[in-house]
Amino acid sequence: MSIKADYENYTLLSYHHIPDVHRIDIFEAAGGYEMMKKWVGTDPDKIKEEVKNSGLRGRGGAGFPTGVKWGFFSKDRNAKKYLLCNADESEPGTFKDRYLVEVCPHILIEGMVISAWALGTQRGYIYIRGEYYHQAQVLEKAIKEAYAKGYLGKNILGSGLDFDLAVHRGAGAYICGEETGMISSLEGKKGQPKLKPPFPAIKGYRGLPTMVNNVESLAAVPWILRKGATAYKAWGTEKSPGMKLFSISGDVNKPGVIEVPLSIPLIDIIEKHCGGMKDGKKLKAVIPGGSSAPVLTAEEVMTTKMDYEDVAAKGSMLGSGAIIILDETRDMGAVLKWTLEFYHHESCGQCTPCREGTGWLEKILKRGEAGHGKPEDIKLLDTVAANMRGRTICALADAAAMPTQGMVKKFRKELEDYIVRG
Amino acid sequence: MSEVVQAPPKEKVKFLWNDKEIEAKPGSNLLKAALDNKIEVAHYCYHPGLSIAGVCRMCMVEQEGVPRPFPACNAVVTEGAKVRNDTAQIKAAVEWTLQLHLVNHPLDCPICDQAGECGLQEYYMKHGVYDSSMIDKKVHKDKVQDIGRNVMLDAERCILCSRCVRFTDEVTVTHEMGIVNRGDHAEITANESLKNYYAQNLVDICPVGALTSKDFRFKQRVWFLDDVETTCIGCETGCSVKVSFNQNDAYRVKPVFDAAVNGYWMCDDGRSIYKHVGRADRLATFMENKSGLFLPAIETEVMGTLKNKAKKFILSTFLTNQEYAQFFEAIKGQKVEVALYRLPQHKLEDGRDFDGLLRRADKNPNIKGAEAAFKKAGFDASDEGLNKLLGNLGNKDAAFIVMPEVVYNEDHLETLVKKVKPAGAKVALTSNESFYFMKDFDYLLPLPTFLEKEGTITNFKGMERKISRARNTWGASDKSVVTYANLMFGE
Amino acid sequence: MSENFEFTKENLERYNELLTRYDDVESAILPVLHLAQEQHGWLPDFVLNKISSMMKVPVIKLKEVVSFYDMYYDHPTGRNIIQICTNITCSMYGSRDIHKALLQEYKTENMAPCDDGRLYFQKMECLGACSDAPCMRVNNDYYGKINLESAKKIIRVLR
Repeated sequence: MSIKADYENYTLLSYHHIPDVHRIDIFEAAGGYEMMKKWVGTDPDKIKEEVKNSGLRGRGGAGFPTGVKWGFFSKDRNAKKYLLCNADESEPGTFKDRYLVEVCPHILIEGMVISAWALGTQRGYIYIRGEYYHQAQVLEKAIKEAYAKGYLGKNILGSGLDFDLAVHRGAGAYICGEETGMISSLEGKKGQPKLKPPFPAIKGYRGLPTMVNNVESLAAVPWILRKGATAYKAWGTEKSPGMKLFSISGDVNKPGVIEVPLSIPLIDIIEKHCGGMKDGKKLKAVIPGGSSAPVLTAEEVMTTKMDYEDVAAKGSMLGSGAIIILDETRDMGAVLKWTLEFYHHESCGQCTPCREGTGWLEKILKRGEAGHGKPEDIKLLDTVAANMRGRTICALADAAAMPTQGMVKKFRKELEDYIVRG
Repeated sequence: MSEVVQAPPKEKVKFLWNDKEIEAKPGSNLLKAALDNKIEVAHYCYHPGLSIAGVCRMCMVEQEGVPRPFPACNAVVTEGAKVRNDTAQIKAAVEWTLQLHLVNHPLDCPICDQAGECGLQEYYMKHGVYDSSMIDKKVHKDKVQDIGRNVMLDAERCILCSRCVRFTDEVTVTHEMGIVNRGDHAEITANESLKNYYAQNLVDICPVGALTSKDFRFKQRVWFLDDVETTCIGCETGCSVKVSFNQNDAYRVKPVFDAAVNGYWMCDDGRSIYKHVGRADRLATFMENKSGLFLPAIETEVMGTLKNKAKKFILSTFLTNQEYAQFFEAIKGQKVEVALYRLPQHKLEDGRDFDGLLRRADKNPNIKGAEAAFKKAGFDASDEGLNKLLGNLGNKDAAFIVMPEVVYNEDHLETLVKKVKPAGAKVALTSNESFYFMKDFDYLLPLPTFLEKEGTITNFKGMERKISRARNTWGASDKSVVTYANLMFGE
Repeated sequence: MSENFEFTKENLERYNELLTRYDDVESAILPVLHLAQEQHGWLPDFVLNKISSMMKVPVIKLKEVVSFYDMYYDHPTGRNIIQICTNITCSMYGSRDIHKALLQEYKTENMAPCDDGRLYFQKMECLGACSDAPCMRVNNDYYGKINLESAKKIIRVLR
């Protein structure tokens, strides 16, 4: 007896309750690859239309509508083009893609084959961060199974689609999660982001049109085609439709990955899905979208809905959906220091404002920690951060500056204590 | 056949930069268009001869209708665009980006050779950012590294503009330079000693004092130097160069942009073509060989002796077109033999005649001009002509060898000198008496160097190239080969 | 130590297979470096020189790559690489103290081989296992919710 997928309550985790669903036979018995069989070979524009109508927003962090991004892509089906799946997932706090692919790799492959057909790409790569060694192996194995079944390779299911797929392992660099950094890395170079324009959809990997989508975005495609854009949009808000994976960590009883409709109240995630605050402690703050998202105070958390627009209205961002819960005992100065240490370590070093600014910010915090802080350091933090924003090739400078400015704004007193306590 | 008739492409695009109207060719780089129109735009990583890096973030501009500021170096000109870099927002951004450039820079300008022509120094003085507001410890890196080919690297002064990396990747394709590590630990490094023959260009393109010339280091403050633009006489390519002077002494040679010949670059060989110009032992007067010892001689006496001999001239390929023409004019109708000595082909390291960039095996700077002048005057410029002249030399002859200025193979030249031995009087006309075989001559007559005369030479492409006087004549060297011809055959 | 590097027969096959996955040789640089490091433990110059000549890519480009990524090593590591996450959630749960205590225990420094080359500790950025903070990665295996005692236990049995 095969266990069926739960397409009613989940889009991405619909197979996750099935034991051994990483195996292609079990995945198929549950309903997997049905959408690939149904849609590959049909009118590609219809697939693109459905994805566009679903309102699916890129799940990597920027939230740009996937269907619109696909619309920028070269429509010449004979031109050499690439489909790149971003599984670099290195925004601190994020581990949803890992959970998605290690349990059910085939949902991603199915999504990629359909997307390859829709976009007319002949080769694809899953760029997975180097630390995810076992997950890379799970994917490699799944790809082998798919080749054996004729779901990858030449003339897939007689549709005329040729699509080769391979796993490409990174080697430990946050910046490779930025799509042009990823392209540089795939090209065998340092993972340094490229100047835009040109955008990858026009000139990407090896100078050829390249579509880069997040794991979660590509894996959502089969469900959207199965149930339709309208069903997808029944969840969430008009601007943030559908379901989303959230990675929750920190001071809650049950951290982990959940799939819930967008716009769910943040407090519900904490109380209902994560079993409430750990050890009965009081909530102090939440980082709602990965370490680059400015922090929310406990008060703000009470009214925050987890959709792109509401989190933005609170001065933060939904980002990759990585939620870090901080209780009353947490030292916000230390949290900022850890955050800045990270961005300093990860700045690729290309653009001056980021290269020099990330190091400077960290030094100010560390000097404060060592007892040599000055009262004017808080203002300096804010000014340096402000002058890193919007001035670089990619968003890493902003990713370091935003949480800094957020912390200055919302936990100034605590930061002063941390830096100037002597 | 397509029925769509395409409108001819527009010749010029017009746009506004800080309200000033600028014209540029369609597709031109926006930053370059501004710079070409004498608009000052701070920039470090952009170089017109290299690909776009867009990393220094100094050339940020705003454009009406574009939501975010962007670097002008990564944009092309668009018709009717309204571009500004004088808004409060952009000015603050540039000032801060400059400030960030200084965060880990040692600011050791007083001992830095780049001082006076350093992009960093120029802008921080302009913006009044004399020191970084960072009080934290700077990142320390390797300061004095000899990376070969006369280039010194100071990694601390480097602002990671990546010009040098792009140069060795794109121009020489030798890939010696790289940037290792991430973030503010990123560091310029040479994987191995430089092996390209254009290494001095790295010094030129480095916008700060990270790459300096070992040869020039600590010799001169750049503000004491004057430049003269001329043509390199190192080979038949004829690159446009400028030679820098302090009073009478030359200190360095740098390339001058010339789209038709050398673009933005020149080779390392050309960097030392001036070395014989300022030698302390430059020939200042007529000299006579008295039993192996050269002593000053009286001009009229020497001329008197030589006038009585049959005159045989061997010209070099280093004369200007004007000198050739006037020389042949001066000897018109006279009984005289003239031949041409060309420097031997100096094959490049891999045996090629041309490296695909600028360096050529033919080291005769005006071979084309010489050949044309010989032909016009009815003389034989070939090696057979030279051999014929050499074969007939005897005691009654005076052989005048106009010595080449820059010689790569002295032995070959010595062979020539040995061959004039039968001549009754052996005369060297030269601006360079450093050769070890000068003792074989009976008389030495001074000539001006290429930096002491005006005229043109004709390069490999047949293009007329300018030779400019940069320096006062040295001693008696105001006498050119034409003067001597006139003295010899004149009234 | 021999200054020559050759892929083993098996790895040479993997090398050749890797090249078939890409439309150009440069794209195989990262996986080839992984493979070489798997075999040699780290990436000294002579390994890079060999790869450079095999792949016909300038050695400086390989050095840039090796220096850029945290998981390539230009210095000797250990037979076991122990990475401890020190990002936000893991630090909240004491990973920095664990890292420091382990360095003391084995009388070593961050990113220096110790215990006769058996161990090598590396402070890492977010490993993507925050719900199991604090998290440790030993070679390719993840261990979550560690404390100093459980970490030592795991490390003790490594060869």
